[in-house]
Amino acid sequence: MKNLLQSELRKLVYLRANWLLLLWSGLFAALGTVAPIFVLNSENNRMGFSGTTTPEGINAVFANAAGGYLFALIMGILVMTNEYRHGTAVGTFLVTPKRSTVLYAKLIAAAFAGLVVQIFSYVMAVSSGFIALNFFEPHAPVPMELLWKVFRASVLSGLVLGIVGVGLGALVKNQVAAVTGAVIWTLIVEGLVVAFVESVGKYLPAGAITGLVDVDFGKNDFNFSIANYLTPGPAILVLLAYAAAFSILAMRTTLRRDLD
Amino acid sequence: MSSSTIEFRDLSKQYKDVLAVSNFNAQILSGRVTGFLGPNGAGKSTALRCLLGLVNPTSGEALINGGPYSALHDPIKKVGAVLDSRGFHPGLTAMQNLKVMASASGIDFGRIAEVLKVVDLEGATNKRTKGFSLGMKQRLSLAIAMLGDPEILILDEPANGLDPIGIVWLREFLQKLASEGRTILVSSHQLAEMQNTVDDVLIINKGVLVAQGTIDEIRQGKSLEEAFLDLTLRRSA
Ligand SMILES: Nc1ncnc2c1ncn2[C@@H]1O[C@H](COP(=O)(O)OP(=O)(O)OP(=O)(O)O)[C@@H](O)[C@H]1O
Ligand SMILES: [Mg+2]
Repeated sequence: MKNLLQSELRKLVYLRANWLLLLWSGLFAALGTVAPIFVLNSENNRMGFSGTTTPEGINAVFANAAGGYLFALIMGILVMTNEYRHGTAVGTFLVTPKRSTVLYAKLIAAAFAGLVVQIFSYVMAVSSGFIALNFFEPHAPVPMELLWKVFRASVLSGLVLGIVGVGLGALVKNQVAAVTGAVIWTLIVEGLVVAFVESVGKYLPAGAITGLVDVDFGKNDFNFSIANYLTPGPAILVLLAYAAAFSILAMRTTLRRDLD
Repeated sequence: MSSSTIEFRDLSKQYKDVLAVSNFNAQILSGRVTGFLGPNGAGKSTALRCLLGLVNPTSGEALINGGPYSALHDPIKKVGAVLDSRGFHPGLTAMQNLKVMASASGIDFGRIAEVLKVVDLEGATNKRTKGFSLGMKQRLSLAIAMLGDPEILILDEPANGLDPIGIVWLREFLQKLASEGRTILVSSHQLAEMQNTVDDVLIINKGVLVAQGTIDEIRQGKSLEEAFLDLTLRRSA
């Protein structure tokens, strides 16, 4: 198992595409805090949110620092689908015919990769947020508790979505289809459901992550209130349930599949 | 003294509407080169994939040293395989691909330089494999197969895509491996080449074993090509 994990980590490190993805996740995350700072401080178009002179405004900005989980999901998808796309699954399973062992190693590697993505995103988002706030003095203070809550959500969502990605990749196999599906789901479908059908949305990964971030955004045009989401405890359980369900899915779909 | 290292027992594989392999029975003797011959679509690759645990047989079994591939401890130290699918990542260099494989089974990285030398690929160690020619890819596949210094080699069309020089190189390479006492099961269309390389022959047609024996028994004084055509065309006519 130690050997196999080392081998999986090598695959992650050697592939330039993974480093590019990490870079993109950082840029995306930075945009996630910097853009709202400008929006919330423009007089006419702040969508009902408070500006960064208020604690709610600061919350709304820094909550986005956990928003890079799409990249953790894509990383997980790549860990699995790279094997099928390039036919390396054959070599991998020849070295380790016990497919469940390979899957465990992949789940751990993907969780780790997702974690790295989310921590990097978090650091990028928070530091860019602080830099951008300099242009809008005075602003409300950024409490440690807020940063900690968002960090907690970043870490857990990175781990969980890396694992979910492996399950998704094992199910779909086709890399382009899986990544496209994940992007459309995360950026469009899930966002709409979480925003407009909260009763369902709060149980989706994005909704659970929002619940785990657990900060008050104040009044806004979207009727978006943290009170409509799960509290952190249940939110963590929901996220762990996703990780478990997609791990099982990855096992089920891969253990006896014919490889060509 | 030869014993059977590879054995197909009533192996059948049914894909949706194709019976790719049908009640296939054969034994491959150790320390010999066995040619696995048959027309396109005969079921060679399917039988070899069943043997390597990549494809699940519909019924029957394919065994290595008396058990399934998946029961082998550290399998790539016992069995090396070259299959028609690539098995390495185009975005990684030859060295990186070999390191990925070696680290997964705890093989010393010092072995990597050795196998690259064995297949004459030392000059391309740090090149991304996406820029490899077909011949270089085949050599890298062979290098990967040799990584664990296996006793048994299972090669599916290793001559595919090789130019005449490459084919001569491959023949000499296989003969060298055979002279070291390894067991080699090699499928091929290069019949003329095969007849100089193999000790034993298995002929499969439409998933069914049609002939098995030493090369002389199969040829019966004819060329291997003639014997092959007799056995496959005539029987299926
Ligand atoms: N994954 C698959 N799904 C469905 N049918 C398949 C699959 N793989 C092989 N077949 C079919 O099984 C039969 C045997 O194919 P196989 O690849 O084993 O033949 P082969 O002897 O290796 O042929 P070739 O010399 O062309 O490589 C063919 O009819 C092929 O179409
Ligand atoms: Mg074939």
